[in-house]
Amino acid sequence: MEGLLVTETFIVVMVMVATLVAIAVRRIRLPYTVSLVLVGLFLSAQRFVAIDVELTPELILAMFVPPLIFEAAFHLDFRLLRQNLTPILILAVPGVIVTTLLIGGLVSLGTQLALSTAIVFGALIAATDPVAVVQLARNLGVPRRLAVAIEGESLFNDGTAIVVFQIASVAAVTGLFDPIAGVMDFFVVSAGGMAVGGVLGWLVAQLVARVDDRLIVTTLTTLLAYGSYLIAEHQFHVSGVLAVVVAGLLSANVGLAKTAPTTKIMLFNLWDFLAFLANSLLFLLVGLSVDLAQLWANLGPIAVAVGAVLFGRAAVVYGSSLLVRASTGEPHIPPDWRHVLFWGGLRGAISLALALSLPLDLPQRDTLLAMTFGVMLFTLLVQGTTIQFLLQHLGLTDRPHHRVAQEKNMGRLFTARAGLTRLKRLHTEGLLTQEMWIGLREDYHQAQAQLIEEINRLYADHPELERELLLHARRDALQAERGALGDALRRGLLSDRTYEELSEDIDHRLEALDLIEANIQHGWTQTEA
Amino acid sequence: MGSIVCATRGGEASRRTQQRAIILAKERDADLVFLCVVDPGFVEPSDERLQGALEDELKRLGRSLLCIAQVRAEELGVETRTEVRCGPVLENLVEYLRHGDAETLVIGAPQKERKVDALDPKDVERLAENIRESVGVEVILVE
Repeated sequence: MEGLLVTETFIVVMVMVATLVAIAVRRIRLPYTVSLVLVGLFLSAQRFVAIDVELTPELILAMFVPPLIFEAAFHLDFRLLRQNLTPILILAVPGVIVTTLLIGGLVSLGTQLALSTAIVFGALIAATDPVAVVQLARNLGVPRRLAVAIEGESLFNDGTAIVVFQIASVAAVTGLFDPIAGVMDFFVVSAGGMAVGGVLGWLVAQLVARVDDRLIVTTLTTLLAYGSYLIAEHQFHVSGVLAVVVAGLLSANVGLAKTAPTTKIMLFNLWDFLAFLANSLLFLLVGLSVDLAQLWANLGPIAVAVGAVLFGRAAVVYGSSLLVRASTGEPHIPPDWRHVLFWGGLRGAISLALALSLPLDLPQRDTLLAMTFGVMLFTLLVQGTTIQFLLQHLGLTDRPHHRVAQEKNMGRLFTARAGLTRLKRLHTEGLLTQEMWIGLREDYHQAQAQLIEEINRLYADHPELERELLLHARRDALQAERGALGDALRRGLLSDRTYEELSEDIDHRLEALDLIEANIQHGWTQTEA
Repeated sequence: MGSIVCATRGGEASRRTQQRAIILAKERDADLVFLCVVDPGFVEPSDERLQGALEDELKRLGRSLLCIAQVRAEELGVETRTEVRCGPVLENLVEYLRHGDAETLVIGAPQKERKVDALDPKDVERLAENIRESVGVEVILVE
């Protein structure tokens, strides 16, 4: 009982520290996760935290990773993911294997590590964890396709890296490696994980579509996130991470299409909160767990590892772009985006979990652990803090003045209308006298008229904004139509077959709007004139 | 008096182009037609339903843009007709101009210094020249 209270106190303190950091980073320009690691390091160095922290691989993989992966998959726009699938899969599957071999080879050359052990390090450090970058990308308003490419790669390369790591670890410890069996293992574990996630995700999506109860739907997604991981890992011995990825994608993009807007809002809020909590605790614990003395003692191998990781990432990102271009004839990854993918390849939770799960009898295990912490700290503290400047330098955060002005005017118009509605209600309820109501109403009407005039002036100067707004409005209307279809299904007004058919039509139309929008930005589809 | 055709797509030059066409129709007391040609050929969707949805959504967008232009013309006292066509731009424009009573085509090109549209003004100039040569109508380019 006392142990439970101590753990609870520790968690409460950690969450409190994380919340204070979250408040503080609103004022300083530093990614949240990077700030958490720095605070963790500081607390650890000052010995403010008296409780022993033991970060076990089970704790990371079974407790923290499912909500993080599920939330990322849950938020990922399936249509945009599909549009970028070729470069994402190239980076996430062959990209991880090539990264593993390059890093392994370079680390083996530059340190005393045996090649087989260095390849284990290559595999565990191959998975990117761009939480800090994605967070920045969202805040700075970089192109959505770029954010999806970063997130998509990270989601799939986690699964690949874990499978490669398991095969490499066995080979390093036993000294035996059968390439054919290795490739077979890779496919069985990956495909098996995706199949488990696919089946469970589909089942939950069907249930979610038929149950319009916020609490049940919320509970179902929570069960799915943790359940798919546990079932895949412990029942079928296949990739739990890939199971969670597929389950999250399916439940959000198939299941949620049929749920009421209030349920969706509650679900997105819940997963935002769970991911925030998992991230906060994880990165704070990373900072607390770093043994600075051990890092200092392994400075040489760490420097080699950092160089190898940067080289491996550069080779894969720039090389795969050439490969995609050669195979399809199209530059799927714009040149500026490649620099962001390269420098934004931070390392985090998965690498840490894999390093901690290294077999105890693996030669030079402590060196590998120090190298992993060293690379993680470098990517978080150096790359994580400078990626914003790169994004700004490349002009990926710049938004034309007229677009910002239009957004602000629209926002002001919405708030003015909401304010007026509220005042009208206060007047109807007798809380405002007739004179007060007339005075306030006139003031609001004048403010709205000014805003509308300003919006019209912007549309006159930049008619393309009007066309974009029409596309957005149409997309909004189609989403509402899909919601109405879900309602009609639940009320028994539509058969499943009709629902599926009409729902598919709306999906096609939404996809068509995406294509039109992308094309308007890159070329011309209609005559100007 | 033949009609004036204003080809528009809602791009950067659309307001200027429409305005010019409305003024011209008033001056000449001519009929004004707002024309939008949408071309779904920029993508080859693998499934037919997506292709159908793409064509339909492009036409709907075109219709909405032309309706907005029509309302603005009416506010200035000019009655207009609208026409949305689907397919390759040049062929559709030429076909429409050949089979109607059009005397003048008004089209616009984005301003060179404003990089809000991927459209190259030189492409529009070439398009205008092609139409002049193949149909023989007056083409007014609004920059």
